[in-house]
Amino acid sequence: MNGDADGVTDAPAAASPRPRRPRPRPAGRAGGELLFRLADDEFVHAERLTEWQIYAPTLESDLALANIAQDEFGHARLWYDLLQELGYTEEECIWRRDPDDWTHATLVELAFADDGWGDAVVRTYLYDTAERLRLEALVDTSYAPLADRVGKALAEEDYHRDHAVSWLERLASDDDARARLQAAVDDLFPHALSLFAPGAHEDDIRANGFRRASLADMRAEWLDTVVPTLEGYGLVVPEPDDVERPAARGRDRTHTDDWGDLQAAFTATHREVDFDRPARLRGEEA
Amino acid sequence: MPTSMPTDTSDGPPAESEACAYTAYEDGEAPAEYPKTGAGATGAEADVWAALYEVEDPEMPVSVVDLGLIYDVAVDEASGLCEVEMTLTYTGCPARDMILNDVRCAAETAPGVDRADVRLRYTPGWTVAMVTDAGREALREFGLSV
Repeated sequence: MNGDADGVTDAPAAASPRPRRPRPRPAGRAGGELLFRLADDEFVHAERLTEWQIYAPTLESDLALANIAQDEFGHARLWYDLLQELGYTEEECIWRRDPDDWTHATLVELAFADDGWGDAVVRTYLYDTAERLRLEALVDTSYAPLADRVGKALAEEDYHRDHAVSWLERLASDDDARARLQAAVDDLFPHALSLFAPGAHEDDIRANGFRRASLADMRAEWLDTVVPTLEGYGLVVPEPDDVERPAARGRDRTHTDDWGDLQAAFTATHREVDFDRPARLRGEEA
Repeated sequence: MPTSMPTDTSDGPPAESEACAYTAYEDGEAPAEYPKTGAGATGAEADVWAALYEVEDPEMPVSVVDLGLIYDVAVDEASGLCEVEMTLTYTGCPARDMILNDVRCAAETAPGVDRADVRLRYTPGWTVAMVTDAGREALREFGLSV
């Protein structure tokens, strides 16, 4: 793997020797912000989805959510790989990163409610609808390494929305189950509204052509999709402007208490392995 | 648990059921110039292609070249640096590091190659249409319907 970042407008000209850790420049920071938002959402969403592998209500659902989580981990890897081309290491991106540096939406970090299958269905529906819009807005990105990868990720997303909508339809046809969907909408919608909140480098992201649509337009399109769909299933969706918003917004690196617990759990093994002092099986000093 | 299935109809399944659409790989036309097989390559690049033919997918006994995963091979004969561009069938492939390492090591066995770099590309997106005739034969022997 070489360490270039073709497509980033201020990428250094074919320098020789190649710098091992190029310092992110302004456009690199905008590209970094864009990539971290994508990657963090996918990674954290996948971490939560994997919890369902022992709780899902049918074997088919076990497999489906495990498969969706695998796809989302795969997409997280697409974007973290590009961050590594900007000079970050995987450890810096995930395992040894300060939990207060993560920029995922709070929607994907929340622990599931005790009877949370409705939560999983509503969450994946809200999230995967946003993900499609977000990837579509990147198809024509000026950032060449990103452009190379967007189509592949987009092609792997259709099934995720099919799965969520199929379960929305099933649950909505039953009064008790619809009440659970409603509880999930009430819990999750305020957090989902932060999906399209801008970060510090949003103006540079747009000025560089990294993303072709504004977050405001994407948010409006998302609302125009999810609100009528949920209402069509007999669910009540609050007026976005009237929603009491959680204190934590995610995109600004503020998070709920659930995040601290999840982050501690998924980094535990990495910390325990102690990569700084690898065990040696044979040979030196054995 | 609610049981109303979205595709239930009293007239039997719809003519074109969408069930399992996810696993039905699109089998349209491969993009022009794909799959790349090294046909016409010369010198060290031909040697690298020959070495890559020996690398099998970790899950199926078929060469990564015949699967259509290799997108480009370039060797700078002056420096001995080889650059291989390749793709994966899907982004969540858990054997990624193994495949990349196998391909790198195979490329470095070619005479004239001192060091190989392997770079992933996802455009054009891989489809089963990129599997070569020899690859299809190998997959059929393995028991897959292609």
